[in-house]
Amino acid sequence: MNKTEFYRNLDELLEVDPGTIKSGDLLADLESWDSVAVISFIAMADEKYGVNIPAKRIAECRSVDDLAAIVADTQPVSK
Amino acid sequence: MINPLDLTGRTIVVTGASAGIGRSTATLLGGLGARVVLVGRNVERLNETARLLEGTPHRIAPFDLTRLDEIPQWLAGLADEVGPFSGLAHCAGIASLVPLRVLGIGHLDEVMRTDFYSAVVLTKEFSRKRLHAANSSIVLVASVAGMLAAPARSAYSASKGALIAFARSAAVELAKSGIRVNCVAPSYVRTDMYEKTANGLTPEQLTALVNATQPLGLGTPLDVAHAIAYLIADTGRWITGSVLAVDGGYASQ
Repeated sequence: MNKTEFYRNLDELLEVDPGTIKSGDLLADLESWDSVAVISFIAMADEKYGVNIPAKRIAECRSVDDLAAIVADTQPVSK
Repeated sequence: MINPLDLTGRTIVVTGASAGIGRSTATLLGGLGARVVLVGRNVERLNETARLLEGTPHRIAPFDLTRLDEIPQWLAGLADEVGPFSGLAHCAGIASLVPLRVLGIGHLDEVMRTDFYSAVVLTKEFSRKRLHAANSSIVLVASVAGMLAAPARSAYSASKGALIAFARSAAVELAKSGIRVNCVAPSYVRTDMYEKTANGLTPEQLTALVNATQPLGLGTPLDVAHAIAYLIADTGRWITGSVLAVDGGYASQ
């Protein structure tokens, strides 16, 4: 998985300027990281990376790097 | 003893029969004496459902209902073989929990095709003279989401709302052909689809959601199957164009 592209996808998801999200950012510091963003993230991960991520795993994430790691570590599901 | 739900001698098509509400409906209708035609994509899982059924020899009919153009020929072929049909319980569908900001046309199209267009084509073909019995009944599985709002549900709600509006119109149009058309509108029911939707929420959020919205708690597929059987059997003889909420009280709040 290309991390730069992943962060650009997060930019788009959270409606912030391209290049805003970067490695090391904490989710708690992101103003637009809310419950709708979590569901949006699940939908984005499914559409763009073909992975199905349970919300409870996202709830354990502290940083955008943790999100990237989950997507990278999850096996794609066939539809 | 009389059984007003008796379906002896009737052939009923059940879509989505490989799991959840469809599987439960197929099992119940078979238990009430119907010959059931089990429709779904996965042969293995249809066979699993077939093994749960008692009574008259049933028929599995593997088919992907998103292949809309192929439905007419496929359904006509089935009717030649086991028809005419006395009923159709259309339980196939997919869930969608996608916020508007990430909702793509591709996904919207998939939801509409699976949850709505398939129902329209099936109803249209079922209504052909040689496919259905003199008095027959179609039940479309909608959702309370087709009537009430919830976040991240726009695609799903739109498809189910369309289904409800379609059922009402079709009911009026097909009454003279002896076909009744109704919807059941479930809320949260314990199925694979629910588990998948539940993936979008933490267990705490999920419990809070069900407790806050459904006074009677989480439903089971059989709760919905009972309502479908009621509308399919003669008990529903004077009911058409209606939407029966099977929702543990969800729609009353």
